[in-house]
Amino acid sequence: MGIKLLVLGSFLFGWFAVSDTAPLGSYTQRERSHWAFVKRTTPTIPTFTNAADQTWAKTAIDAFILERLQKEGLKPAPPADRVTLARRLYFDLLGLPPSPAEVAAFINDKSSDATSKLVDKLLASPHYGERWGQHWLDVVRFAETDGFEYDTHRPDAWRYRDYVIRSFNADKPYDRFITEQLAGDEMSTNDDELLIAAGFNRLGPLRKNAGNQEVASSRNEVLTEMTNIVGAAFLGVTAGCARCHDHKFDPIRQSDYYRLQAYFAGVYENDVAKSSPAEQAAWKTKAEPLEKEIKELNGKINKITSLEDPEAASQRVALTKKLEALQDQLPAPLPALYSVKNVSEKKSPIHLLTRGEYAHKGARVGMRPLGVLLPDGAGELPETTDKPRTALAQWITDANNPLTARVMANRLWQFHFGRGLVATANDFGRMGARPSHPELLDYLANEFASCGFSIKKMHRLILLSNAYQQSSALPTDEAYQALALKKDPENKFVWRFNRQRLEAEQLRDAMLAVTGKLNPKAGGPSVMIPIDPGLVTLLYKPSQWKPAMDATEYARRSVYLIAKRNLRLPFMEVFDAPDTQASCARRESSTHAPQALELLNGSITNELAEAFAQRLESEAGANLRKQIDLGYRLTTGRAAKPAEMKAALAFLQTQPKREFALTLLNLNSFLYVN
Amino acid sequence: MPTEHYRITNTRREFLRDAFCGFGGMAFGAMLAAQEAHAQNPLAPKKPHLPAKAKSVIFLFLSGGPSHMESFDPKPLLNKLHGQKRPASFGEAKYQFVSPTATLLGTKRTFQRYGKNGIEVSDLFPQLAQRIDDIAVIRSVHSDMVVHSAAQYQLFTGRVVPGFPSMGAWAIYGLGNESQSLPAYVVLPDPHGAQEGGMPMYSNGFLPAVYQPTMFRPGNRPVLNLDLPKGVTLDQRRKTLGLLKQLNQMDMQPDDAEFSARLNAYDLAFKMQTEAPAIFDLSNEPQETLDLYGIGKPATDDYGRRCLMARRLVEKGVRFVCPVSGGGTGNLQWDAHSDIEENHTRMAAQSDQPMAALLTDLKRRGLLDSTLVVIGGEFGRSPESEGSKGRDHHNLGYTMLMAGGGVQGGIVHGATDDIGLRAIEKPVHLRDLHATILHQLGLDQELLTYLHLGREERLTETLGTVVTDII
Repeated sequence: MGIKLLVLGSFLFGWFAVSDTAPLGSYTQRERSHWAFVKRTTPTIPTFTNAADQTWAKTAIDAFILERLQKEGLKPAPPADRVTLARRLYFDLLGLPPSPAEVAAFINDKSSDATSKLVDKLLASPHYGERWGQHWLDVVRFAETDGFEYDTHRPDAWRYRDYVIRSFNADKPYDRFITEQLAGDEMSTNDDELLIAAGFNRLGPLRKNAGNQEVASSRNEVLTEMTNIVGAAFLGVTAGCARCHDHKFDPIRQSDYYRLQAYFAGVYENDVAKSSPAEQAAWKTKAEPLEKEIKELNGKINKITSLEDPEAASQRVALTKKLEALQDQLPAPLPALYSVKNVSEKKSPIHLLTRGEYAHKGARVGMRPLGVLLPDGAGELPETTDKPRTALAQWITDANNPLTARVMANRLWQFHFGRGLVATANDFGRMGARPSHPELLDYLANEFASCGFSIKKMHRLILLSNAYQQSSALPTDEAYQALALKKDPENKFVWRFNRQRLEAEQLRDAMLAVTGKLNPKAGGPSVMIPIDPGLVTLLYKPSQWKPAMDATEYARRSVYLIAKRNLRLPFMEVFDAPDTQASCARRESSTHAPQALELLNGSITNELAEAFAQRLESEAGANLRKQIDLGYRLTTGRAAKPAEMKAALAFLQTQPKREFALTLLNLNSFLYVN
Repeated sequence: MPTEHYRITNTRREFLRDAFCGFGGMAFGAMLAAQEAHAQNPLAPKKPHLPAKAKSVIFLFLSGGPSHMESFDPKPLLNKLHGQKRPASFGEAKYQFVSPTATLLGTKRTFQRYGKNGIEVSDLFPQLAQRIDDIAVIRSVHSDMVVHSAAQYQLFTGRVVPGFPSMGAWAIYGLGNESQSLPAYVVLPDPHGAQEGGMPMYSNGFLPAVYQPTMFRPGNRPVLNLDLPKGVTLDQRRKTLGLLKQLNQMDMQPDDAEFSARLNAYDLAFKMQTEAPAIFDLSNEPQETLDLYGIGKPATDDYGRRCLMARRLVEKGVRFVCPVSGGGTGNLQWDAHSDIEENHTRMAAQSDQPMAALLTDLKRRGLLDSTLVVIGGEFGRSPESEGSKGRDHHNLGYTMLMAGGGVQGGIVHGATDDIGLRAIEKPVHLRDLHATILHQLGLDQELLTYLHLGREERLTETLGTVVTDII
């Protein structure tokens, strides 16, 4: 436990012991000395005597990696070739493939800082935020509907998504990014950007039900969502495990959990209208009669219970059609910002809850960060603290908080390498994985904190390392290959780069890009695309699915497609997109037959294969060889090899071009990044 | 030290190891052949932890909450107290809609005794009653939520919030699939519409996408993407797949496990595409079987087809099948708020014969012993009336049925109090029901875990108790 943090904490908050609440608790030396809870070290960067090692260890990252590899009897892989590196960087930073011209430009740039220039170019691209914003949206379980039985749409939720994308593109310092999300409304009550950011506190699923409302129960669920995400997203601890009882493995007491929750005791939703009273009145005049009619019609439809009787069935269809027409006439909802505000007079008293059940109240608690990171007996914040979440954000973003910088540095590493230095990015506790390179992790976290929490600086640091630029191929020396695979099959010591399958969004976006169909429009309301009618009927309220009128919207990047909790797009689901119900630290990368069926028979791929075939003909001319070569360059970044050319030519003698185009969209060398 | 599930694996050795992480009881190096199979197909059958009684589960989900008092749990006292307020001695209950001033509602149903032990069944289920000697009637089920979505999540996933894997996903995570050409976990939704809980109730939650349910569409072509796109012939597609394989093989090391698995996924996909449609086609069933299920009769045609489909699927080794009875807005489910008589008469008329036929058909084909059939909804209904003729949701005590798969037939387990309000004898929480289902499949609830966000998650969360009295 760093003395500096302790002093700073006392300075900021002035700890007051409050009586008649739960005990403030104490933590053993053993609990406090868990690696993630201790102050970061300033590790010495390893040095090497051998000239080749010195060359390879050109950055501190490389020195830490190389030292560990040598300790394990392993060695780094040769650098990836330029084509591979270009493709890797484009997908990594933009989530899109490089065009053949972009690959050629990189290969032809013989200057010594060609890679550095490319990294800068990509980091400056507006597409960067679309890719890295998605990583963050996974972590905060962003979705645009409530979930549960109504799965009500949140038509302005896209503003938060755009806020995240803007923040990444602007390289907003991470401490600022955290503070805005936790406490934007406390920073300013009239800055739209900050109000939108604070919508972070409302991203979780929300249960609403008709009938006898259990207000206390619903409030408890809302507070739970707000609390758990802080632990998972910012602190990398499974604080949620301590909701029902003291954490089984980590020094997080139940009282710690509820003290964290106390920061949110007065937080309520706040929809900030962005329309004038006149506009609102006009909206009401138009909507109210329609809503009344819709309600009546719904009543009629619900009375028809038999679908077996053809007359009743057709009546139901007719009424449903009428209903849909009415719904289409409803004026678009007026713009609003989803934010939160402190309502001190409605503050929920926070108690320890036995088994997490709101009815079983224990001792009352007030605000305090995690006790294991504070001195024993540290008191709670005064209940009258003016801006509670700002105080929490200050504690989280303090440069000496042992968790925050480590957790984010690790996320960045994981998204680049496909695997974190700590393999469990949301769990730095005892049940989580230990860091494979503790010194490197501390080095990166130190750099992150000392460079002003600039995420783009961290990207540069990592991407320009030799470790990142290694080949992903297995070593050619068979004896060494066998040794490396035996010693470290998971490649946790980074003796090569990890080949990675494109994530769902990358895959769909790449298909749109290579077929020439991508609509690069950025930002704005989310898009619903047409899907199989059978899927729409799986919604409790099928009328919620309203595909965009403008078909060019269907080719938008995947981050702009609606994130609906109760209906995930099959394409996304089958390729392991997270379910948005809980924080997702790292996606699975599974391999199974429904993926093949989606890519072979799905409407998305087949429509794009058609367009791809046309593109090959229109851009490469009549020459089949040129068409095949262009197809390979677009999908894999490289030229077709002679054997591939031969096989493709033979196929095209008898088979249609769209089938060849479809094949390209199914190739492993398209689906994977080396 | 456990780590989260990992799949960045280029080598066969790694892949084999990873394919098994999360299985506490399985030692690396054992069952090499099985491992080989898993490297190629993550849904290849796996050995259960314990000797299994059941290979498959069919869950006849009666969505909306069927009444226990109108079906399998007769309450003479309720009829006597009709129109009166609930005596205080029965304790409190929270309902979603019923007001505190509501009075008790007697049932208009009549009950008769059936089977070797004379178990009482109402006149809504005359055909299921004929199968009572195959059925264990659990009259003491209880759960925690009184609203649909949360109760449906608990029924399927053990949790009252969305985001957790359903029992079907857990079953195939634990056991894989016996069929190579059919999906492992199938939901047959009611064509009237969906449930309040929506897709998250059936879903794989945080388990990898390979464990997701396959939602059947109505008709003979139920699986999305199993049909060839318009204008493409099977022969043409075979050639396309040939080219794909050829090109992929040119660009990989022969022992690259993940790429091999991907090649295999395409082979499996093609196999499904060519073999599955015949299994989905009910037209080659004999007329006698169609009649048994009530196919061709307006009321029972739809659910009859889906129950018959369930039999055909488990016959081919599909692990978990869920034909849903009821869907769409309230009264199209068993959600009898306004008129219990009208609702339950209609819903039972659609489902009684198909459910009974399924038991009959499974039994005569020798499949009932290896197929666990579970029947029930996300809760029961209130002894109090809602309005004058309806019943509200009720989670403190209600009935579910189990049959086959090693479950004793012709028995009653547990009891509610004399008005059907509360499970008072041998209460069975949903987590006990889940533990029992897993147990019959040979899965140990403590070993079937998956590390997610720092917790070893399991279907039964705080562990259930296997209902040994009925097995």
